[in-house]
Amino acid sequence: MALLSVQNLIIGYQSQNGLLRAVDNISFELEKGRPLGFVGESGCGKTTIGMTLMGLLPSNARILGGSIGFGNKDLTKLNEDQWRNIRGKEIAMIFQAAMNALNPVYRVDEQVIEAIVTHRPDISATDLDKRLKELFDLVEIPQNRMKDFPHEYSGGMKQRVIIAMALACNPQLIIADEPTTALDVIVQDQILKEIKIVQQKMNTGMIFISHDIAVVASVCKDICVMYGGQIVEKGTREEVFGSPRHPYTKTLLGSYLSLDNKGEIIVPDMREAADLKLENGYCRFAVNCKICSRACKSRKPDWIEISSTHKAFCCEESVVRNANE
Amino acid sequence: MSKLYPAKPPLIKIEGVTKEYRPRQGFFSRDHNKVLALNHIDLSIEKGEIFGLVGQSGSGKTTTGRLLVKLEEPTSGSILLKGMPINELKGNTLRDYRSKVQMIFQDPYQSLNPYLSIAETILEPLEVHHIGDEITRREKVVDTLDTVGLSPGLDFYDRYPHQLSGGQRQRVAIARAIVLNPEFIVADEPTSMLDATIAIQLFKLLTRIRETHDMTFLFITHNLAAANYLCDRIAVIHEGHIVEVNTAEKIINNPEHPYTRKLIQVQPSFAFDRKSCL
Repeated sequence: MALLSVQNLIIGYQSQNGLLRAVDNISFELEKGRPLGFVGESGCGKTTIGMTLMGLLPSNARILGGSIGFGNKDLTKLNEDQWRNIRGKEIAMIFQAAMNALNPVYRVDEQVIEAIVTHRPDISATDLDKRLKELFDLVEIPQNRMKDFPHEYSGGMKQRVIIAMALACNPQLIIADEPTTALDVIVQDQILKEIKIVQQKMNTGMIFISHDIAVVASVCKDICVMYGGQIVEKGTREEVFGSPRHPYTKTLLGSYLSLDNKGEIIVPDMREAADLKLENGYCRFAVNCKICSRACKSRKPDWIEISSTHKAFCCEESVVRNANE
Repeated sequence: MSKLYPAKPPLIKIEGVTKEYRPRQGFFSRDHNKVLALNHIDLSIEKGEIFGLVGQSGSGKTTTGRLLVKLEEPTSGSILLKGMPINELKGNTLRDYRSKVQMIFQDPYQSLNPYLSIAETILEPLEVHHIGDEITRREKVVDTLDTVGLSPGLDFYDRYPHQLSGGQRQRVAIARAIVLNPEFIVADEPTSMLDATIAIQLFKLLTRIRETHDMTFLFITHNLAAANYLCDRIAVIHEGHIVEVNTAEKIINNPEHPYTRKLIQVQPSFAFDRKSCL
């Protein structure tokens, strides 16, 4: 059985301009040991998914439909007390802003201890000490730095502590939301290696959220590409990045600047932001789509199956089926 | 130098510039507290080129940009614009310099005043430098908005920054920088806050402006791939030292300095076929 199974999830934000469907009918499954990457641009709903899985949606957000199966529970139906038993213990999160995620007035080890003790109040002092050292070893922070304050740490070390805190209770699922975005390239490289090693050692489930396709590709085995609150394409890393089918995936890949891919870079003509008010199920990429026909705006796209794992969400079946055209 | 080489001096020349930052001075302060942000750097930027300055956080790349627009003064060394030292500029000549050298900042969410409409934002430099009268200024603003791809310009004229997306805001920041027809623009990580598909459109815009307006750019970035795409020449900066300057092509394909090699090696990358994206 899959570790996590999300079915037809819809999340709306109440805003001044009415209801915005930030996550529109999303379904996916996550297996242990197969990190799943969500890639997309700002406002595509990837962070909203992460926050939903942590039970941390802001007060103006509502789950409008769908289910999130985790073990034998449906996470959409939990109350705050039930969430407290899951958050940090079974599902943990590595946050984006390593610079702000630590409390500046507490020593680093105290903050990691808090994460352990909250869920294991009866742990003995020796066990606690042992666990603490294990965690710091795992993220490669020397033990003589454990009692420092966060401001004495570099950005990369702070992010390692955040990882240690996320791992404190041996969670089954870790959500990493843009864990390297605030770091520079050299530190990013180290943290990504760290995350990969930790994920393999502990064999946890992992959801990895990023706007940077190369970062997602280096960590994840399965990829979901998101646009405007919808998953537009999903498949294994090789399928999605090796043979992209959805016009948006092609745009995203074609405009990605990298040092080792020769060939012409596509300058996309993306003028309009996705319309999040659009009624349930319609294609939200249509406004910016090259191959969009008038029909696209009047009918709902279908999931087109390219292989058992590779699917794209589009109206134009013939275009999606014939790659390289 | 100019006597030995009668050819035109480079547009911008940085000679032995050092910049130190000192923590707040107190009675017990020691000299060893000072931070050397730039350590005797030399650079020259030719007219019409897009020059990339690449380095990681804390390498001194933003400090270099701030020195060039005179937001800071070097501790020692000199910066020359067309052979003329800018350290001593005062009064009218300083005002003139400020109209010739402009900056585009990193974060379009912070660099635009939320209380000013788009028109007021772009009008301000024209007013400060007493260029044109009210009518020609307004025409100039609409023209500039069209140039940066916010067209029709009149549609954006009376809007406020909060009504624009990040990419559109950065276009406004570019419009503000080019409205005075400067000769030299410092662009400090102009796309690091933006999505990839938006960033690439802005790169295209900067290249086009270079052609149509005959401008020279210093492009500051931590992203070597972006520098490679946009720049003619690249300088790699590390802990306040310029470690390597060369054409973009040579920096990427034949890096000489070990630090450049390391920087290339850690760029996140993965192979895919661009043809599959057409």
